[in-house]
Amino acid sequence: MPITHEGLAKEFKWVTRPGEQKHIGEAIDPTDPIMQEMAYELIVGNNVDVDRLTREALDSGYSANQILDDGLLNGMAIVGVKFRDNLIFVPEVLVAARAMKAGMAHIEPILSASGAKPAGTVIMGTVKGDLHDIGKNLCIMMLRGAGFIVHDIGVDSSPEDFIAAVEEHGAQIVGMSALLTTTMPNMGRTIATFEDMGLRDEVRIMVGGAPVTQDFADEMGADAYGDNAVEAVDRAKELVALLAELRSS
Amino acid sequence: MSPVIEKMKPRDRVLAALAGKPVDRPPVCTPTNVATVELMDLVEAPFPDANRNGEMNARLAATAYTELGFDTIAPYFSIIQESSALGCDMQWEQKDNWPTVRMSNPIWRGSSDVKIPSNFLEHQDTRAITDSISILKREYGDQVAIIGKTMGPWTLAYHVFGVEPFLLGTVDDPDETMKALHALKEITILYGLAQIDAGADVLTLPDHATGDLVSGEYYKRFLLEMHQELEEALPVPIMLHICGATVDRMPYIAQTGMAAFHFDSKNDPVEAVAAVDGKIRLVGNINNPTTLYARGPKEVRAEVYAALDAGVQLIAPECAIPLKTKLENLIEIPAAIEDWVAERGVM
Repeated sequence: MPITHEGLAKEFKWVTRPGEQKHIGEAIDPTDPIMQEMAYELIVGNNVDVDRLTREALDSGYSANQILDDGLLNGMAIVGVKFRDNLIFVPEVLVAARAMKAGMAHIEPILSASGAKPAGTVIMGTVKGDLHDIGKNLCIMMLRGAGFIVHDIGVDSSPEDFIAAVEEHGAQIVGMSALLTTTMPNMGRTIATFEDMGLRDEVRIMVGGAPVTQDFADEMGADAYGDNAVEAVDRAKELVALLAELRSS
Repeated sequence: MSPVIEKMKPRDRVLAALAGKPVDRPPVCTPTNVATVELMDLVEAPFPDANRNGEMNARLAATAYTELGFDTIAPYFSIIQESSALGCDMQWEQKDNWPTVRMSNPIWRGSSDVKIPSNFLEHQDTRAITDSISILKREYGDQVAIIGKTMGPWTLAYHVFGVEPFLLGTVDDPDETMKALHALKEITILYGLAQIDAGADVLTLPDHATGDLVSGEYYKRFLLEMHQELEEALPVPIMLHICGATVDRMPYIAQTGMAAFHFDSKNDPVEAVAAVDGKIRLVGNINNPTTLYARGPKEVRAEVYAALDAGVQLIAPECAIPLKTKLENLIEIPAAIEDWVAERGVM
């Protein structure tokens, strides 16, 4: 079944990369009209309607998983593509994330109670000495929008804060952000502390932030670098798959 | 090649370049900070105190001229002086890090909250800069261009409202956003005029409507007219500073009437020169984290040459430099400009 919701069909036209067209298109095509409407209202940042549609869907017998996959995550997938391609910017992502949150407020308790397996568990924080958090928060929104459980340890986070959070939540991934050139080296110090504590093999570490580059990430000993929030999700998925492969072998 | 021009004083060189007049060589400029930990040690003026004490501030700021050979001295090292005076929650940090506003703990919620304290210009952190400018003007004013800095309303809004609440507000209630920006604009004017009174020859006006956060259309919608008003209200040459990718908004920025736009290395200088189409001068755009911080003079020289070859009129690091930048990399900037002029003639 093609996309029947007119607004969502228009939004889908922004997805131009063939692989993404196939992946996102195949995810949306079989979904019911209410799910397509939910995805659309999320994309345009209408949190009131996403809240209403989520309640209606639950009342109509849709499962929390179905609402997450067919409605909310499909919407966020298109938001991510538009953000990466500079078709929308942070304000538009913030309103979409707020709409996502409105829907999640209804289904998260159900998903938690059911023990549904997330895409992965991530600890996210801005490194010591740095109080900037918009980039980190965007990554968190996108990661949650892709089905990850994310624990946000905030700004000005010491290596010990990251380690404590990993141990508390059993996370596989650590994401570190920095905006200041003066605080970027604290990424390396945090990685070194994981090594000193004998925990480096337990986690995969990704880094990002406006002044951070792939070269710098390599120099610091990070496992991955993301240039933007969408890449952060891609890297997190790759790292989770890599860890699973390592553990199974 | 242009006719040979007699060697100019740094101040005259900068003011001529900002006015689009002929210069003996393109100036090397400090729209934002060039102080480093090494320079702090040299003149015993470390952060955070050098941000809060006019005399220490002047000592550190002067090193841009005395030690690095730049054509300008800029005493406002960070972006937080006004916000501290407005009552924002501050983290002053240590010598090797920037003082920062705790933006996750905003002080105001909307335009009606915006109130300029009656003692705003007497606050320790606003006074530190005006006192420093007075000292610098007295000691170097005849020779070097003194660059003040007054934060634009968009950047102030991040500090006083918090980044996310402010950006969400631009979607939820754009009229309220405009009201808030107009109210904050008065702070920009007040502090800018105070620095001009103290002796600033030029003002940098940072207003971080960056392509990393908002669209070029946002710049046009919320800021273009406001920047035109600021340009009229502040009677010295103004260098607008916006970090990040900005080529999409440069054609609008070129309409502000400001003297120059200080741009980031995320923008190709050839594209930037084409985007402004001769309507505003460009200042920039030597990369900080990779080139100035982590590479050597050879790479710095290559970037200076690339900017000059593209037609950038004033050369500067793209933004406030990393505090542990090597001095040899900074000193290479004026040296490379001299060599470029010797090889190719003035612009």
